[in-house]
Amino acid sequence: MTAMNRLEDLRYTMESCNHCGQCKWVAGPRTTGWRFAEICPIHMRHHFDAYSGQGLLNIARELLDGELSYEPGLVDLIYSCTMCGACDTACKSIRDMEVLDTIAALRAHCVDAGHGPPAPLTRAADAIATHGNVFGRPRAERDGWRHTPAREEGGSGPIPEPSSSSEIAYFAGCAACYLQTGIARDSARILAAGGWDVQILGSDEECCGRLLWQTGQWQAAEQQIERNLAIFRRRGIKTLVTSCAECFGAFRGIYPRFAAVEVEVLHISEVIARMLREGALRFDREVDLHVTYHDPCLLGRQSEPYVPWQGEIKSFGLHEPPKTWRRGHDGVYDAPREVLRAIPGVTVTEMARHEENALCCGAGGGVAAANPVLARWTANERLDEAEATGAAAIVSCCPQCRGNFTAALPRRDRALDVFDLTNLAARAL
Amino acid sequence: MALAPEIYREFEAIVGPAYISDREYILAALRQPQPHSPFKPVSPVAVLLPETTEQVQAIVRVCNRHGLRYIATVSSLISFAYPNGPNTIILHLKRMNRIVEINERDRYAVIESGVRHGQLRTELMRYGLSYPVASVGPGGSVLANFACSSGDNHVEYGTSRSNRYLAGIEWVTPTGEILRLGSLATHAGWFNADGPGPSLRGLIKGFAGQWGGLGVVTRIAIGLDAWKGPPEMPTEGRSPRYRMRLPADCHKVLIFKFPTLDQVHDAMQAIGRTEIGFSVMKYFNASAALLATESANEFWELWNSGLFQRELARPLFVYLSTWSAEELAYEERVLHDIIAETGGEPVADEVLDIYRENMDFFVLVGFLQRVLRLGGAWAPTKLGGDSVSHMFEVAKAIPEFFDGFIARGQVLDAPDNFMITPAEYGHQAHIELLYLWDRNQPDWAEVGLQVMRASLENDLEHHHHGSSPPRAKAMLERLGPRYSNCHVWIERLKAAFDPNDVSNPMP
Amino acid sequence: MRATDRVVSLSTLLGSDRCNADPDTLQGYATDSSGTTGPTPSLLVRPRHRNEVIDLVRYANAHGTSLVPLSSGPPHCHGDTVPGATNAVIVDCRDMNRILRIDPLNRSVMIEPGVHYGELVPALAAEGLRCTLPLAPRGNKSVLTSCLEREARLIPKYQYDAVDPLLTLEVVYGTGDDFRTGSACGPGTLDELRADKVNPWGPGPIDFFRLVSGAQGTLGLVTWANIKTEVLPPERELYLTPGDDLARLIAPVDQLLRRRVVDECLIVNAVTLAALLARDGHELEALRTALPRWTLITGISGLERRPRERLAILGRYLREILGAADLEPLAELPGMPALNERLGQRLDNPCGTEPYWKFAPRGGCRDLFFLTTLHRAPQFVARFDEFAARAAWPVADLGVYLQPVIQGRGCHVEFQLLHDPHDAASGARLHDLFLDASHALHRDGAFFSRPYGPWAELVYRDDPAGVAALRKVKEIFDPRRVLNPGKLCFR
Repeated sequence: MTAMNRLEDLRYTMESCNHCGQCKWVAGPRTTGWRFAEICPIHMRHHFDAYSGQGLLNIARELLDGELSYEPGLVDLIYSCTMCGACDTACKSIRDMEVLDTIAALRAHCVDAGHGPPAPLTRAADAIATHGNVFGRPRAERDGWRHTPAREEGGSGPIPEPSSSSEIAYFAGCAACYLQTGIARDSARILAAGGWDVQILGSDEECCGRLLWQTGQWQAAEQQIERNLAIFRRRGIKTLVTSCAECFGAFRGIYPRFAAVEVEVLHISEVIARMLREGALRFDREVDLHVTYHDPCLLGRQSEPYVPWQGEIKSFGLHEPPKTWRRGHDGVYDAPREVLRAIPGVTVTEMARHEENALCCGAGGGVAAANPVLARWTANERLDEAEATGAAAIVSCCPQCRGNFTAALPRRDRALDVFDLTNLAARAL
Repeated sequence: MALAPEIYREFEAIVGPAYISDREYILAALRQPQPHSPFKPVSPVAVLLPETTEQVQAIVRVCNRHGLRYIATVSSLISFAYPNGPNTIILHLKRMNRIVEINERDRYAVIESGVRHGQLRTELMRYGLSYPVASVGPGGSVLANFACSSGDNHVEYGTSRSNRYLAGIEWVTPTGEILRLGSLATHAGWFNADGPGPSLRGLIKGFAGQWGGLGVVTRIAIGLDAWKGPPEMPTEGRSPRYRMRLPADCHKVLIFKFPTLDQVHDAMQAIGRTEIGFSVMKYFNASAALLATESANEFWELWNSGLFQRELARPLFVYLSTWSAEELAYEERVLHDIIAETGGEPVADEVLDIYRENMDFFVLVGFLQRVLRLGGAWAPTKLGGDSVSHMFEVAKAIPEFFDGFIARGQVLDAPDNFMITPAEYGHQAHIELLYLWDRNQPDWAEVGLQVMRASLENDLEHHHHGSSPPRAKAMLERLGPRYSNCHVWIERLKAAFDPNDVSNPMP
Repeated sequence: MRATDRVVSLSTLLGSDRCNADPDTLQGYATDSSGTTGPTPSLLVRPRHRNEVIDLVRYANAHGTSLVPLSSGPPHCHGDTVPGATNAVIVDCRDMNRILRIDPLNRSVMIEPGVHYGELVPALAAEGLRCTLPLAPRGNKSVLTSCLEREARLIPKYQYDAVDPLLTLEVVYGTGDDFRTGSACGPGTLDELRADKVNPWGPGPIDFFRLVSGAQGTLGLVTWANIKTEVLPPERELYLTPGDDLARLIAPVDQLLRRRVVDECLIVNAVTLAALLARDGHELEALRTALPRWTLITGISGLERRPRERLAILGRYLREILGAADLEPLAELPGMPALNERLGQRLDNPCGTEPYWKFAPRGGCRDLFFLTTLHRAPQFVARFDEFAARAAWPVADLGVYLQPVIQGRGCHVEFQLLHDPHDAASGARLHDLFLDASHALHRDGAFFSRPYGPWAELVYRDDPAGVAALRKVKEIFDPRRVLNPGKLCFR
């Protein structure tokens, strides 16, 4: 690891917390009223301060100092956090603290101490190590999506043949390869329609390793990252396009912690927006739909490039050398909205919590696997907010979000459609 | 020390198993040392999350029966929210978070303790209503601020301190009786907090609040003012670079600088007499620099440039907020008359633009906690109130005790980092000196208290009312005799209402 | 202790010229214009200084003597100065009548309890200041008592809570200890302290000044108070807006106060306005019949700089807001003699003439008043009208005064029952009407925040927890219960 990511490196953050509570709330200037003002899913669910960015900092400090033992329930609490980074962005609107990095380091600390992660996440790590994907599905089926139509796909044309020589690669990610293959299929269609000739990694593609990092399994994460970077080098990839927000966020925000990333990483929404601006792509078909857009955490506030920092925090918080902060300001927020608004017939209404203040879908950080009840609960909160806009559908840019929302739908009174951006865009082609 | 199982079960029966915990890892979030102090608070023995006034009452009665101390809190930013002795439970009132009523016609809102400024202020904007939002940040509890802590704010010139706006109080006394004060006492509604007869709300809050030391305030009504801005926050940009401009025809920020504090004083007094403006302040300069920057490094760059020391050493911030462009123009003419007479001049545009671009400074003060950024070791002192004139007199004496700390490098070199805010068009004023010190210094643990003590001694020496006696037994007993023996009456009232001394006993 | 011994002791303490044991004089204190009666006090004393008040209270503690404070001249109207216990000593503070300090810069005045509106208003005007007045108070009304008792004032804009404009005060508690509130508390003695004593809150976590407000002298005797004053506007315009429908007239008042357009703001019926303005009985009747049923009185002011510009803007707002409700603010009421100037005089000054304007029409006046919200006020007026009609109370003898308070977030509603105090039949009717209506209005949600006489039982009956709390407070500040016993819930 290249930078100060271990728990002991983050003592300044742990000791700086004033318990101001901002980590639990939408930024003041973006608050819209009583409803939808909270931002931390686990705090909304449990209310105890321990379930929040602040609480996790406090727990981390006591564990680090040996003041707290691993009594039953502690590890579950630590792994209930979706690692959505809302606390981090909220805190960084006012402070120079690394809340999310501390939570990640806390999990790694648990793992190092032999107290984590919960079993489903260990199994996921094993699956990645064995099969290259979190689901434990055969590696050979990785590009099966190219051959089998999917229910959710919006496009109808054939899937273009991949290039073998392009320096651009489409990285579908585990979920789009195995579960929501329509996203991969529509992404491929869109890229082709826009004139982009791309490589498909096929069985060379492996899990991005995001889950391993988020769940504290850093040794495995490092190996996975090295493996992927080697593949990219070997295949001469200069630009990587992802349709998965989590892969995208991993390449931008996690990989640089372990190694230099020499490829340009783009999210498909950025690519489509660029194609639309340049006239390379046109939406000809009308899609009559009122939607609201859900910002995936790793595409939005967590997608700013991570710049390793090694230095000293001197008097009065002066960081030497100066540090490049990731405050959530420059995430990918505009591109998906630009794409949606370009689709004829689509109207977009924002949710109260949006962009850097968006509420997590509930699936992140390994919670979907380790604590599915909590994941569904959070999804419901978000779907309530989506419904409050009057929209008929919620659109995201991440198969994890889509999957978690879809899983929450059957128990709801109102049927809200859930789309990935690529599905809608492909429908408009 | 752990909570006895039978008491745990009593509490559990009141709030339900999901809303009580005595797990160490849950309590870890309630016993951390504040960045300004090396001392770790005593751990509470349990935390409870009641949902109703009746649950609070039942909990309080159990506490009295078993001699358990309790502290009611919401956001817990202040050290009084943490136990200072054994056998203490925390009542976290976050689930009591309902806006019970917004009475648009009669201009009051009834809220529970867990409602935050960010929520209420923005909710009220839709009704064209507002209230003075305390300078605590949007996550602060409105109720705590109005009824339990202090309550100064950036617009108190055109409004007042928050306790003036209390219109009704529901209070669980330290022994567990539910009292409803003011018009609520006779079921007449939530519009008036004083009476019948002697106003018992005087027990709940004075210059500062009881900080949980006299039972639990579970609901309050607050009076509302008209809001002259739009129904939603006109925020632009993304965190941390938000911008908020209010309509220019009726909202304008002007900042002037003066050669001397006396001239600032004269201008402030003259403005008050004309009743123009909505906010008038001599604001902090280092804090202003912290609010204006996004990181400690940016702060240092700005601070080392000397711009804020030059422009904002003796500033007068004025925010004009009117119902028409015509009125705005009139107020501006009056203001310029006064500034010309008193010898002020506009500050540099690069400073003024910060506030013109972000009028949230006068609305929610969403970034207030930035003042904590430099490592978090900070404290306010003075925190007194009297006339505008007296507050300036107090301010002029600050260097006598403060310069030494600066010279010794114990605190940030920011001698002008104090605020004087008039209230009620200048009928009173509030002073606050904010000082920051560095945790990397060997004596950092002592600095906070040393400055505070020196400040109090300075007040005593000059007979300045620069502070109201603080909530600490030793200090109160030392200062009380010089302050009309207030300690005697405060202690007697505490003993009468909290005979078991279980409601957040004074440290 | 025998009465004669008491006279001797207190004469020693205060000087014999400060004690009055004249039976006829004392008999006069056994009742007041409200019809409240009590035991005849045994002595009247007139302290001049705080130390004498302290001595008195200590004496009372030592001998179990009841002290009944008063600071206003007669007539007394609420029963609060009528002894509730035998052998009481009336503590008449009218000789503590110094204006201790006028602070024009910080806009406050420090006064002793015996300073009356009649003295204070001109003294402040000489310094370019004014205090916010109740509606034409008696010239001999104690300013301090008026503020302590939270009397409604004409300018709601300047009132931020019910205790405003009271700032700080010095009190001698029932224990004999003296105390100063807010920023007057210290550090140091009053002479040493350099504060201007205008911060009302505290010291510390308790608003001590609130505890003695509305207490009718049952917790402490206030020996001076600092009161908030305002700049006397160089320009002021008064407007009269007539209306038949009270609810319609009151609706725009809320807007006027929300926007802080007006200073003076009140609504009166024809009876009250006539009583205020009439110079004699003939004019009274003429005015009463000629005046509109209701009149909204509003004042706008131009302050120190560019006053005409301010007046022009506020005048426009006033016309716009009232115009939107199809109402028109008028300088003079149509067909009426020039009233504006006379009304201005009435609102700006205490009533210096005898009899007091409320008593002039019939010789007596019993006020029934309470607080409610602005929008509920018309319902209460209608409800009271039902009772008045049932009691066959003449419309001509029923004044109504609505005073928005606290920036319009409340409304003082006052029914002035004009009566002939020598007419026994009328007195009985008055008594019944007063009690019946009070009970009904209380049940309907009227807030009797200043529970004088029979209202005390009314409000405290519903609030046992509040009574218990008040008694704890009483036990601390007046454990021997020497101060005005029998009042409020301290029976």
